[in-house]
Amino acid sequence: MKGIAKGLGVTLRGLTTKKVTHNYPDEPLNMPDRFRGVQHFIPELCIVCNQCARICPTECITLTGKPNPDPEKRVKLIDTFDINFEICILCDLCTEVCPTEAIVMTNNFELATYSRDDLMKDKDWLSDNNTNIRSENSRNLSPAAAKGGAK
Amino acid sequence: MGVSATITMIFAAVLMLLIVLGFVTYAIYFERKVLGWMQLRIGPNRTGPFGLLQSVADVFKLLIKEDTIPSKADRALFILAPAIAFVPSFAVIATLPFGENLYFADLNVGLLYYGALSSISTMGIILGGWASNNKYSLLGGMRSAAQMISYEVPLILSMVGVILMSGSLNLRVIVEGQEGWFWQWNLFPQIIAFGVFIIAAISELNRTPFDLPEAESELVAGYHVEYSGFRFAFFMLAEYTYMFAVSALTTVLFLGGWHAPAPFLEFIPGFIWFVLKFAGCVFFLFWIRASMPRIRVDQLMGLAWKVLLPIALVNIFLTAFVKMLLQ
Repeated sequence: MKGIAKGLGVTLRGLTTKKVTHNYPDEPLNMPDRFRGVQHFIPELCIVCNQCARICPTECITLTGKPNPDPEKRVKLIDTFDINFEICILCDLCTEVCPTEAIVMTNNFELATYSRDDLMKDKDWLSDNNTNIRSENSRNLSPAAAKGGAK
Repeated sequence: MGVSATITMIFAAVLMLLIVLGFVTYAIYFERKVLGWMQLRIGPNRTGPFGLLQSVADVFKLLIKEDTIPSKADRALFILAPAIAFVPSFAVIATLPFGENLYFADLNVGLLYYGALSSISTMGIILGGWASNNKYSLLGGMRSAAQMISYEVPLILSMVGVILMSGSLNLRVIVEGQEGWFWQWNLFPQIIAFGVFIIAAISELNRTPFDLPEAESELVAGYHVEYSGFRFAFFMLAEYTYMFAVSALTTVLFLGGWHAPAPFLEFIPGFIWFVLKFAGCVFFLFWIRASMPRIRVDQLMGLAWKVLLPIALVNIFLTAFVKMLLQ
């Protein structure tokens, strides 16, 4: 009897407590910083070192470079950079190895399309994906994190 | 009966049917809303403003679905069963007094009529299970029938206490006997009967925690596995019409019908009081559903025969004894 009354009390309080569901498709869902979303690519920073393509566990990154038009500089320029989001697992490894932070994570995650072909994202698309960029990358760690490391 | 009286009667019955259909539509909507709120969700909110058209859309979906009849089914009975389940559920409403002068039939055996007709619905369920010619629906039908018949006994016996109090089977007379302050409602002198009645009534309605006939998470469905489209809708309609009838009956038998809780509140029309109490009963059913897990099938019959029935019998003797002492 007491248990039944208690249970009824719990459900009655549930009537007025704050609801835990999100109004997601109507209101965008803001992910926490450090969320592993779709990458943002900055072609100007890329040095075509190929580390991201090599570390990628699913081999979803393909890139090609071209020689620098300025003969003084030996660094190559990026020509094409594609991520195949059919197989990308958003593991964050490419952004970790990148020595120049040319590829960083964003909080965007909406990738649904009507065609699989649309999931092949090129340099321009990734470069335009410049909203909700993760604020803290390995090159620009916040002072507290740089000093004390992970706590 | 003259022609005009007949026409009035038919018109009133059609109006009542529309009211019941409207009630069922929005009872389902509010059930889902209340369940949602109690589970910290917001419930249906996509179809129409605040999701108000959700059950309309659901019913429309059922109506345009293919109406399947299994080729090996007993065709006539298969078609007849949903009607047999629904018609009594609507017919019992005829005897319920909604206000002092607002009732269809002033039967002097109103309660008996209610009990007798509501057990016919069990026939519809068994027939539905049997006519489907499917072993699962037959087992489901048998299970539901066993449950409904077992719980009908304590349900009727718990009403006997109320009948002893008012000395009549007429539902209108029963309500008139509860006039005055709210402690003169049968709820308090007949608190034991009220408890038994509520439990047995929830079981009669096949609602959680007694929804074994169609336990969603355990079985595919019970007696209505083979039903689709509007025949399935008819079984659901019968269930929700019974919810209407049982809530109204609880109001009439135990909550003082159309009487105000205090004499100085009598200026508010009786019908409003009736609707308020009725809505409270309906909400209580939703509330119970949100709170309780399903009873185990091996405890189901024990609860009816070993717990509720003796309590109901003791209540009858207690009522008779006290009534004799007071004379």
